[in-house]
Amino acid sequence: MNATQTSNDKVVFEAVGICKNYGGVKALDNVDLNLMAGEVLALVGDNGAGKSTLVKAITGAISKDGGSIYFDGKEAVINEPADAKHFGIETVYQDLALVNELNVTRNIFLGREILLKGLLGKWFGFLDYKKMHQEVIDLFDKLNISIHDLHREASDFSGGQRQAVALSKTVQFGKRVAILDEPTAALGVKESHNAMQLVKSLKEHGLSVIMVTHNMQHVLQYCDRVMVMRLGKKVAVRSVSDIDGDQLVGLITGATNTHSA
Amino acid sequence: MSALESNSPISKANKVIESNMIKVQIIHQLKQMSQVLIGLIAIYSTFWILAPDFRNIDTLLTILTQASVLGILACGTTIVLISGGLDLSVGSIFAVVGVVVGICLSIYELPVWLAVIIGLFTGGLCGFINGFIQVSTGVPAFIVTLGGLTAYKGIAEILANGKDLSQFPESFHVFGSGYVTPTLIMFACALLVGIFLRKTRTGSHAYAIGGNEEIARLSGVNVTKSRIIYYMIGGLMAAIAAIIQVSRLDFAQSSRGVSYELFAIAAVVIGGTSLFGGRGGVSRTIIGILIMQTIIVGLAYLGVGTSFQRIAIGVIIVLAVWLDVFKGKSK
Repeated sequence: MNATQTSNDKVVFEAVGICKNYGGVKALDNVDLNLMAGEVLALVGDNGAGKSTLVKAITGAISKDGGSIYFDGKEAVINEPADAKHFGIETVYQDLALVNELNVTRNIFLGREILLKGLLGKWFGFLDYKKMHQEVIDLFDKLNISIHDLHREASDFSGGQRQAVALSKTVQFGKRVAILDEPTAALGVKESHNAMQLVKSLKEHGLSVIMVTHNMQHVLQYCDRVMVMRLGKKVAVRSVSDIDGDQLVGLITGATNTHSA
Repeated sequence: MSALESNSPISKANKVIESNMIKVQIIHQLKQMSQVLIGLIAIYSTFWILAPDFRNIDTLLTILTQASVLGILACGTTIVLISGGLDLSVGSIFAVVGVVVGICLSIYELPVWLAVIIGLFTGGLCGFINGFIQVSTGVPAFIVTLGGLTAYKGIAEILANGKDLSQFPESFHVFGSGYVTPTLIMFACALLVGIFLRKTRTGSHAYAIGGNEEIARLSGVNVTKSRIIYYMIGGLMAAIAAIIQVSRLDFAQSSRGVSYELFAIAAVVIGGTSLFGGRGGVSRTIIGILIMQTIIVGLAYLGVGTSFQRIAIGVIIVLAVWLDVFKGKSK
């Protein structure tokens, strides 16, 4: 499989003892996660296992009730989405990737617009649309994304095109880590394949990837390690080369119940 | 990037698009404006045919001048609505600013420039309070600004205290007198708001926040700060409108500005800015206010009373929103 032992030396991103409660419910119960340089880590589990909550808690989208995050071995304070971005962590949230009313360029640069040089940009925040368009053109070229009309609203695009735009954002801005929440949900077979090719190319562009998914085929085919969650807890972490589909399903459902890392 | 890659068909296609970028944008703008523009021309032409008195330049100038006060107010409302907010208090802010400027000029006899600055500051402050209460308490815009609608009205009454605020210095009349100045100020405000919305970072975020506030927040947009700025601009526009009207009428009283917020919202919606946020523009709002004013003036020329004018405006508002809902469904 794709597991590359050589790159697994260095931990880029580490979350320790993450907790999140909703009323009396422990949505995340002391969850640890570590991500090695240059790997794709799959995050799997049944519905309600806490995958999306974990993603949101470690990227500052929701506040966490406990736990800490380390980046390159140093503690990183991430309370807001902007904090995570500051560390070079780029996240594609499920269903919350693109604003329908904005065009492609505006979506990609939302929150990180390029401003005109000089006083117009500095004092009044004037945007440099030309430069942003050029960067998107270069980016799509680099990733072989064939979306031609950058002025069209995101609402006009197909699910596959939307996902391509969202994923390209992680290459543009994710300097270190890309976190993807179900990048192939609601996509057809061909579109899923294209999206996964993009995920693969994230790795080639030097990013470490955490990917939430329900698709076991994708885990076995594209990921290096897999972390399994059940009912808000981490139950197992395995190298993909050491596991097959049946074992993985066993871990998710609880039929196989072993603790190991 | 290698030379090979940059000569790929995608790259070439994109470069063609790049060169057409400005053209595409202008065409896009015109397309979006065309419906309301055609509406305005049709309505104007109808009155032109029906009412002989309507056919002169003075009527056109009257429409423009009378539209200017509400037009300026509506520029601010446009930003707030695009960002998915609502401001019902601008009519009362209008009253407060009018009274404040009146007091500065006729009781304290302050210089005109100072009175104007105090007036603008008051408007901005009222808008700030609207925005600040909303983002810090999470109370919906409708309720906060509904509170503002009555509270600011009360403040205007307390400040005015039944005093006669009139006979302002001659130099103050420059803002509202004649046809030209109010109209020019309206277009200048629209231009500035348009540039703010299209060309600046904070302004362009209004579309993102109105489109999907959560995505905007997750993308790192400072939603809190942006919202407060939008309401402040709304208050500022109400202040400019108030100064023009006080200057024009040469008196200020706390009862001015009643229902202006509704007319402003009507103009924005007739112009085609979405009530649901995320879409719209200020040039269309100006056309919206001109449509309203043309109908009012036109019907007056046909001898139709104010009550029927109001009914006509009401019908048009509902039609405009219906069109908005219809467009939303087809998306």
